[in-house]
Amino acid sequence: MTGVTTRELTYAAATNEAVHLEMARDEDVVLFGQSVAGSPDDPFVRAFGPDRVRVTPISETAEIGMAAGAALAGKRPVVDCTMAEFLLVAMDQVVNEANRFHYMSGGRVTAPLVLKAGYGFTAGWAGQHTGSIYGMFMGVPGLKVALPSTPADAKGLMASAIRDDNPVLFLHHYLLLLEQGPVPDGEHLVPFGTADVKRSGSDVTVVATGWTVHRALAAAERLAADGIDVEVIDPRTIAPLDTATILTSVGKTGRLVLVDQATRHSSVATVIAGEVAEHGFSALRAPIVQVTALDASIAYAKPMEDYVLPDEDKIVAAVRRVTVRGAA
Amino acid sequence: MKPAEMFRHMIRIREFEERVKRTFTEHPGVIRGHTHLADGAEASIVGSVAAMRPGDQLVSTYRCHGYPIALGSDTSALMAEIYGRATGICGGYGGSMHLADPERGFLGTSGIVGQNIPQGTGAAYAAQLRGRGEVVLTFFGDGASKQGAFHESLNIAAVWKLPVVFVMENNSYSAGVRTDLEDANAAAGEPLATKARAYSIPGVTIDGGDPLLVHETVAAAVERARAGEGPTLVESRVYRLSAHGNSIAPPGVPLHYPEHEAVTKYGNAEEYEAAKRGDPVPRLRARLVGSGELTADDADRIAAEARAEMQAAVDFALASPHPEPAAALSHVYA
Amino acid sequence: MNAEQARSLLRTMWRIRAFEERVGRLKRSDEVHGLIHLSTGGEGVAAAVCGQLRDGDVVYSGHRAHGHVIAKGAPLPETMAELMGRAGGLCRGMGGSMHLVDVAHGMLGATGVVGGTVPAALGSALAARMRRESTEGEDTVSVVFFGDGAVQAGTFAESVNIAALWRLPVVLVCENNGFAEFTPRSAHTPVERVSDLVAPWGITAATVDGNDAVAVWEEFARLLAGVRAGDGPALLEALTHRLRGHYEGDPDRYRDAIATEEWQQRDPVLRLERTGIAHGWFDTDEAKAVREAAHAEVEDAVTWARESPWPTPELAASLVYGS
Repeated sequence: MTGVTTRELTYAAATNEAVHLEMARDEDVVLFGQSVAGSPDDPFVRAFGPDRVRVTPISETAEIGMAAGAALAGKRPVVDCTMAEFLLVAMDQVVNEANRFHYMSGGRVTAPLVLKAGYGFTAGWAGQHTGSIYGMFMGVPGLKVALPSTPADAKGLMASAIRDDNPVLFLHHYLLLLEQGPVPDGEHLVPFGTADVKRSGSDVTVVATGWTVHRALAAAERLAADGIDVEVIDPRTIAPLDTATILTSVGKTGRLVLVDQATRHSSVATVIAGEVAEHGFSALRAPIVQVTALDASIAYAKPMEDYVLPDEDKIVAAVRRVTVRGAA
Repeated sequence: MKPAEMFRHMIRIREFEERVKRTFTEHPGVIRGHTHLADGAEASIVGSVAAMRPGDQLVSTYRCHGYPIALGSDTSALMAEIYGRATGICGGYGGSMHLADPERGFLGTSGIVGQNIPQGTGAAYAAQLRGRGEVVLTFFGDGASKQGAFHESLNIAAVWKLPVVFVMENNSYSAGVRTDLEDANAAAGEPLATKARAYSIPGVTIDGGDPLLVHETVAAAVERARAGEGPTLVESRVYRLSAHGNSIAPPGVPLHYPEHEAVTKYGNAEEYEAAKRGDPVPRLRARLVGSGELTADDADRIAAEARAEMQAAVDFALASPHPEPAAALSHVYA
Repeated sequence: MNAEQARSLLRTMWRIRAFEERVGRLKRSDEVHGLIHLSTGGEGVAAAVCGQLRDGDVVYSGHRAHGHVIAKGAPLPETMAELMGRAGGLCRGMGGSMHLVDVAHGMLGATGVVGGTVPAALGSALAARMRRESTEGEDTVSVVFFGDGAVQAGTFAESVNIAALWRLPVVLVCENNGFAEFTPRSAHTPVERVSDLVAPWGITAATVDGNDAVAVWEEFARLLAGVRAGDGPALLEALTHRLRGHYEGDPDRYRDAIATEEWQQRDPVLRLERTGIAHGWFDTDEAKAVREAAHAEVEDAVTWARESPWPTPELAASLVYGS
């Protein structure tokens, strides 16, 4: 990134910086939610005042429905929904209202809003706060879904989400919140529907999202020591999904491992596997392997939590499976 | 708005709804899916909309034909939308349940009971931020007041003092279920406006068949909202003169309008006949002619004009092209 | 209230207090992990309510559930083991602090989602009412504990309407600590008292000082009698002080800390000790013995839990479906 200066920021700070910059840039951007404006010295309240930055009651349906209405009336609301599971309390407003307004009105209205929520908090939070439930949203027409894996992407995707004229689910990963990384100063936009090749390689394509991107990169380093050159792709947004970049990579490597923290049948992995099976079959030299969470809720105790999640060892094993002699 | 003008809009809405209903027999197959008519609620709709001024907005339920007519939307484009034509007000994408005319302040509807209430509340938050004294009317039915969205929204509107008027059109039926069978207040013989107490906001119950009373009540609530004093719950008692909606059937089975649930489900023909005798449209006509505000000839002329307007709307809609199939992939995203 | 009831109440409250203080320390040393919400300050409500219920009566709770579970009769070793994620835990280490269940004692569920168990309690109440119609003398009730934050959730209004309409045998117990997680009630609603908020539904409701366990006991006894008799639902609002933050580790910057002297006055456990001694229900030595026994019992529970094995990892992939 020549000409762009960067700073080391955490993923959480980078996300907040994007919201802050967009609120400064566009006074129609408003921020509300149950965990917003936590104290009088909250930096958002100080910068933008208590009218544009508001704490809400625990009323998910109203919060998200209000975002839809404020958006129809010209605002660009960002709702901090705290945890992705809380979206489920207001499922109608998430998948059956704002996302359809533009379409059902024949393009007469738009509902630009961002629902920001964390997911994947596999840190002893047991069954109800640890899910990776983005899969159920990726096929919802009119709704876009972003899953940043790095601080820079978090900033750039949040800025793009706020400027997008559609409802966007911005899902940040809880285990990444304090991860540091270089983040471009000032305006930084990451386009939706453009995957990022996080590591180039020639032997195997690994597609991963969120926290599993980092597990895949670590696995790739281990495999490099054995002479296996892994390419790691992060789709960054799963709706829209950049299948072209994945197919191009598979055309080069002929082997595909899909890593996903979601349970298998509601994962992005399964969707990508279907796309590649249909559009990239002739390039495949080995069966596609999916490394997903096991089909269980997340248990409280750590040994069980670890057991169901994809990890570095499982990714390494999967890559070895598709590269063993005879798999071709 | 003068009473004669209210009468004109009420009879336009009635005529429009009659033409929607007649379409099922005159042009079978032209209207698909589910329609919900506002006949019986014209006085409540027109009286409420008359309290709006430019810049004010409204959201409604799927029973939505009356509001844009009162706001001045093109009835040909409205009918074309219900007929699924490319010339429809939403290009044939929305149909009967999803009319919208944002330029006139009609932000849209929800097809899901109660879900437009937070949306209207959010539009009111936007109005509060604009700071120009604009107000949002949020229309919904009695059934919607049992949705969590109602509770959450009225609470937030109250604590944030949002410029919103919640107009509950209580027609005594939650879809097909009598309200006293599903509402604790109704079961106790209390008005549903009692619910306003849970949010420390004013709640009033009025005869929604009297457009002047509706106008006076809603206008007072609108002015209160404009002044920054927060929301009001207006329970407007109306009687829906048609069934909840047209029949629901698989493709190929002709659709029709059944009789009202009072008759078909509860065997209470007298309730329905009494409601017909109280029909707000002839009621207003009699009142205006009686008081000399309108001559019988004028009233007849207004009715004839409404008939001609809606005939033209039907003709326009029938003659309009269907959307191109591939248009289905437009407007997925803005 | 008689001496025996008062001693039992004090014993339960000390067991909860000692248990949660120990859990707070175990959280800081990471022997208990995940998100932990302590109910310190709310012991009187849990003990006075559950102390009047039978095993057959059903209780539901939310994320701050330790006290309710203990008061309903769950054994301390298994409860502690659950919080430590051990195989011997109430839920075999699969639920942890926010999802405690003890079917044997009628503790049917706790949830991590605000307001999530209110409709579930209605369901149990409906089942109880249906049993009433066929079973002579059947008068079990359902009780759900929730915080003041849950009252603003739509599910609450939906539930109260149905409970009132169907006259369900359910007691809604709202522990109003003035804070919905991190924000004061005034930011959440213009209605200060939850008992006022439910007035439009016409259900019996009362507000009581939740720091006064005797008052909670007496008020709940009155409401419970009506619900058992088939008079329909009731709501008890107990005004409490949440001594700890929303969760263990909460920097708690959004409110002023309570002064030590004020807390000494309000602390429901110490207050019951003073009241009980003044009434002659027990003396200082007896109160001390109760306190020490509770702490000893908690230490035994910790020892037991530490000796409980970790669940086998493969358990994670089982129990997804019931057989």
